Amino acid sequence: MSIIQVRDVTKVYLLGKTQVHALRGVSLTVDKGEFLSVAGPSGSGKTTLLNLIGCVDTPTTGLVEVGGLDTSKLTERALTDLRLHQIGFIFQSFNLVQVLSVFQNIEFPLLLQGGLTKAERAARVNGLLEATGIGEYGRHRPSELSGGQRQRVAVARALVTRPALVLADEPTANLDSQTGQNIIDLMRDMNRKDGTTFIFSTHDPKVMAHASAIIRIADGLVAVRELVGATA
Amino acid sequence: MLLVDLQVAARNLTRHTRRNLFLGAALASVTGLLVLLGALTAGIEGSMMESATTLMTGDVNVGGFFKVTSGSAAPLVSGYPKVLEATRAAVPELDYYTVRGRGWAKAVSDSASMDLVLGGVDIAHEPAVRRVLQPIGGTLDELARPNTMLLFQGQAERLKVSVGDVLTLSAPTERGVNNTVDVRVVVVVKNVGIMSAFSAFIQADSLRGLYGLSPEATGAIHLFLKDRGQSALVAARLREEFQRQGWRVMEPDPQPYYMKLFQTVPSEDWTGQKLDVTTWEDELGQFKQFIWGIKVFTGLLVFILMVVIVIGILNTLAIAIRERTREIGTLRAIGMQRRKVLWLFMLETALLGLAGCAAGALGASALAAGLNAAAIRVPEAVQLFLSQEHLTFQLRAADAVSDVLLLTLVTVVASLAPALRAARLKPITAMHHIG
Repeated sequence: MSIIQVRDVTKVYLLGKTQVHALRGVSLTVDKGEFLSVAGPSGSGKTTLLNLIGCVDTPTTGLVEVGGLDTSKLTERALTDLRLHQIGFIFQSFNLVQVLSVFQNIEFPLLLQGGLTKAERAARVNGLLEATGIGEYGRHRPSELSGGQRQRVAVARALVTRPALVLADEPTANLDSQTGQNIIDLMRDMNRKDGTTFIFSTHDPKVMAHASAIIRIADGLVAVRELVGATA
Repeated sequence: MLLVDLQVAARNLTRHTRRNLFLGAALASVTGLLVLLGALTAGIEGSMMESATTLMTGDVNVGGFFKVTSGSAAPLVSGYPKVLEATRAAVPELDYYTVRGRGWAKAVSDSASMDLVLGGVDIAHEPAVRRVLQPIGGTLDELARPNTMLLFQGQAERLKVSVGDVLTLSAPTERGVNNTVDVRVVVVVKNVGIMSAFSAFIQADSLRGLYGLSPEATGAIHLFLKDRGQSALVAARLREEFQRQGWRVMEPDPQPYYMKLFQTVPSEDWTGQKLDVTTWEDELGQFKQFIWGIKVFTGLLVFILMVVIVIGILNTLAIAIRERTREIGTLRAIGMQRRKVLWLFMLETALLGLAGCAAGALGASALAAGLNAAAIRVPEAVQLFLSQEHLTFQLRAADAVSDVLLLTLVTVVASLAPALRAARLKPITAMHHIG
């Protein structure tokens, strides 16, 4: 069963008077529980595709459906709600709130959602702190952690709302290879354990190798979809 | 959630210490200035009102004018015991009253002369006069004797007289002749503001003698109420009651009696007696204008400073938003609604505003308390206008709190535009920063 439907999507940016065709008619389907890598060189349109799937940007033409909802028909408010409840984000530069502790950073999306008691939130956050191997850093500020630890916090924050989909834009790009490997292993664990769909962009072949499938993008077009040995 | 919001706002403020300290200090300065000027105005108003209500007016005054011909006028209430009886019956709010003669005369000493507005007082029944006036020579009790006079310090200096000296008072009567009486200065008191420049007291019967009045004539009955706030109500009630009992009553006219005596009443076409019921606000119209002038000046000054502050806030928030574009975008991407971004930025400004303004108000309060304790003497030329011998700040907690809230509100309103700009940022901005 698909969670993402992308059909004939184009995205054109204006840079001054120049039109930049970031995507030129991309179509793809992502099934629930997939651990999908979007691969391609810099400027190939990986980030643009993730932005559209993540509802933080809108296509110039074409259709993007997330969880069966046509995102072009949703209001800004509804899109924000969709992101809050259905999608988790992991950023290349971690993008944690510097003034909050690790615990508070992870808890923040739950506070935005509302509905859980303090004890329920604490239980969920502590569970993720343990699962991501940063249990002892709950009270630390992000600036006190290493890059790998920060990305673990970002993974925990993305997963805390139990989203159907997690989007990770080059999650290992700012990490050394071993730490990057660990982060990918962590995401893979979460994918296997909870069935959460992961889509992550990368141009690192070692990282791609962990995916269940690879979408290769070049010049704004899907060149090929490859199945990798591992499956969800 | 609110706790986390507050934490985020407070910690963001502490991240840019120098910038926020500067803005907070500016806010504190403006608030401090506002509180200080407000306390000074309240101090002036308080002492002015106290001296004015002692020297010139009660909370409500039953005065009047007697006209022998339509072109003349005397500030008189003839047959005042009956008026007093009707007044007391109609005013249950009455605390106490005084009966005073009214007049004006030229005071002539051996070496100088000056015009004075005279009050004829029965010192035994003037508790407020005893409370407010501070003798620097002689005693107030001496004013109970016939043909005695009280002068203020400035008047005594101008007339070059002291306690025991004799003055001649020359006053025009309603019959158009000038009467004179010799009075002995029995007490000289400290100046109490602008009123003491031209007001003086003589013994009540001496004033009657000067004008050739019967013992049943006086200038006005000053009523002091338990609650001054009831003055207008009581005055209106008295006008109705007097008219119902057959007295002729003048229309309400918010001017001091001496302005009416010299300007309006002589030009009116009537003769005989009319009663004039006024409130302290009517009698002190000019002084209230002076206070209003000070308040307008204060307001203008603070407004100009607030414009500077608002510009500072706009700049500071513009910088903060630029610095935190990624953070705003991230929060929007993970599901924060626009109104929440707006709220966070406004909360941050509100915290800064509240902290800065509260610090300013506290600092100003401490400074005012210190200046009060230091009892700084006001230059004599200024004493007249400030009604103060020593610089006095009257701090009112409610005023300080409202100043703090007002300026905090201005700060928050100023933050609205940049906060809206932050809220409108597209979440893609965050991913764009890493793309």
